[in-house]
Amino acid sequence: MPLLLGVFETPNKVVEVVGRLRSRGYQDLDVFSPAPFPEVEDALIDKPSRVRLWTLIGGLAGVTTGFAMTIWMSYDWKIVVGGKALASIPPYVIIGFELTILFGGLLTLVGLAVHAGLPHGRFGKNDVGYSARFSAEDFGLTVRCKERDVAEVDALLRAFSAKEVSLVEP
Amino acid sequence: MTPPPAASVADMIRPVPAVADSDVNRDILAVMDRPTMPYWLLLGFLVVFVHSAGAVWVYQVYKGLGIAGYAHPIFWGVYIVTFVFWVGIAHAGTLISAILYLFRSKWRNAINRSAAAMTIFAVLTAAQFLGIHVGRIWKSYFILPYPNQRGLWVNFKSPLVWDTFAISTYGTISALFLFVGLIPDFAIARDRSTGWRKVLYTALALGWEGKSKQWKAWNRTVLHLSGLCTPLVLSVHSVVSWDFAMSIVPTWHATIFAPYFVAGAIFSGFAMVLTMMIPVRRIYGLEAYITDYHFDNMAKFILLTSLIVGYSYLMEFFIAWYSGNEFEQTAWWYRVFGPYWISTWTMLICNTVIPQVFWFKRARVHVPTVFAVSIFVNIGMWFERYVIIVIGLSHEYNPAVWGIYTPQPAELMILAGSFGFFAMFFVIFIKLFPVIAVAEMKELAIHKKSHAHEGAH
Repeated sequence: MPLLLGVFETPNKVVEVVGRLRSRGYQDLDVFSPAPFPEVEDALIDKPSRVRLWTLIGGLAGVTTGFAMTIWMSYDWKIVVGGKALASIPPYVIIGFELTILFGGLLTLVGLAVHAGLPHGRFGKNDVGYSARFSAEDFGLTVRCKERDVAEVDALLRAFSAKEVSLVEP
Repeated sequence: MTPPPAASVADMIRPVPAVADSDVNRDILAVMDRPTMPYWLLLGFLVVFVHSAGAVWVYQVYKGLGIAGYAHPIFWGVYIVTFVFWVGIAHAGTLISAILYLFRSKWRNAINRSAAAMTIFAVLTAAQFLGIHVGRIWKSYFILPYPNQRGLWVNFKSPLVWDTFAISTYGTISALFLFVGLIPDFAIARDRSTGWRKVLYTALALGWEGKSKQWKAWNRTVLHLSGLCTPLVLSVHSVVSWDFAMSIVPTWHATIFAPYFVAGAIFSGFAMVLTMMIPVRRIYGLEAYITDYHFDNMAKFILLTSLIVGYSYLMEFFIAWYSGNEFEQTAWWYRVFGPYWISTWTMLICNTVIPQVFWFKRARVHVPTVFAVSIFVNIGMWFERYVIIVIGLSHEYNPAVWGIYTPQPAELMILAGSFGFFAMFFVIFIKLFPVIAVAEMKELAIHKKSHAHEGAH
């Protein structure tokens, strides 16, 4: 199926055109954006990112590991201080806390890799349509559509102030 | 794929894309341009300096810690002081990149990258001092809970073990945070470089193209890492303060230590960010990105934390007087009027008196004044740790364990080397990585452009 690329200058226009395209039934859309613009991302992807699940799992694994490790080690090598419990929870809160953060952070990075699809593509090869202008200040909207819809998509992109529209994949 | 040959480093970064490039890209990536002769001289000096300090450390390993000023009753000296100092310096980076992110303070965008990088370098510098301090560096790993034939584990009730976990977690998470922030900027550099730089940035950018799902996951990642870093940054210096507060040494055993140390850490960290960034801004012409507004805000932070630190000092003296406890009162009197009075008064003047100049806006936006105050704060905060650690140990309850400690040349050389070590990494960093967060600055630039467009229509 053909792939069209529209180049835009502002995020607002991208949001508007994406809304229109989606309402017209075009779902195979993607945007190359030079900076983070939540409104653009939300226009394309409805659900919140699932990276948060990874953070939660990491945090829970960390706190469990922190307490399990300290308590188990206290009983495995006993430091007996008269009348005191072998495992003393208050100081272990610190280890539990630090490992919550450590594991939570590491798994968040794994979540980023999984949900952002990183590493992406072959080394040194970019996706069709990508160019250095999209790491400057332009926005690139790619639309994959049926051949018979090319003219309509082209007109729509231009109607929303696309600077350029090109057929990057016939 | 073999990258095309490049005549020089400048040629590697200069190729202009077919479409006009963004001003933000051009200005910030220009910092990474061809290193000049003064740059090489500075880097060469720092490398030689760090190696000289390294040689002194090797000599210390050979001779033993006796060449440091350690003598009964003081076995925590310049090395622990410097360790705490560098951990403190690290804090501003996380505060700026994480806490200000959660508060949606957009002004942080201009300084968060350099501050986050300083966090890593400061933690690296600090971590070395634990190894230097223990003397027998090859036994440093004893602090880790690892399976061993003796079947014993570390004592998790010890603040030194907490410290190990806190510092290693802090270093790891800060490095991760810095890397995540750099991914989009690596892609920008990748698209504008050739030669070995192209290969390096292509590898580091992980195929980033700024697609929606990438930004969506990235935004969430930055948010969560900020959320994790916020309690972390507050906990790290609290844990460091408990290295002292958990003991029963007079002047150490105080509940105020955790917030007092955290405020001091942020205070000194902001000062160090200013000390490093003011010359970089001047040399590389980044005045359009780091403006009076940034200096004004950072100076306000310094003033605020100076007041917290000053309040803590006063409260310590007040409580000593109010307690009616003779030992406590004597210890505090000794701090201000004893043989170490110079250190104490340096601390008091640099940390509480000099920053008061920032009540005046004219001083907050006057760059030479801000730079000078930042240097005084750095000096004052090093002395604060010296005062707490050394004076506390030199005058405990029992006159049999009173004594005087004088830093020795080996310690001072290694202390000086730590500044060289920190500066060396920063100097290398500014030529390899974007010193300002390009994508985040561009977010502001594009928003501004969008509003101008809308206004025009």
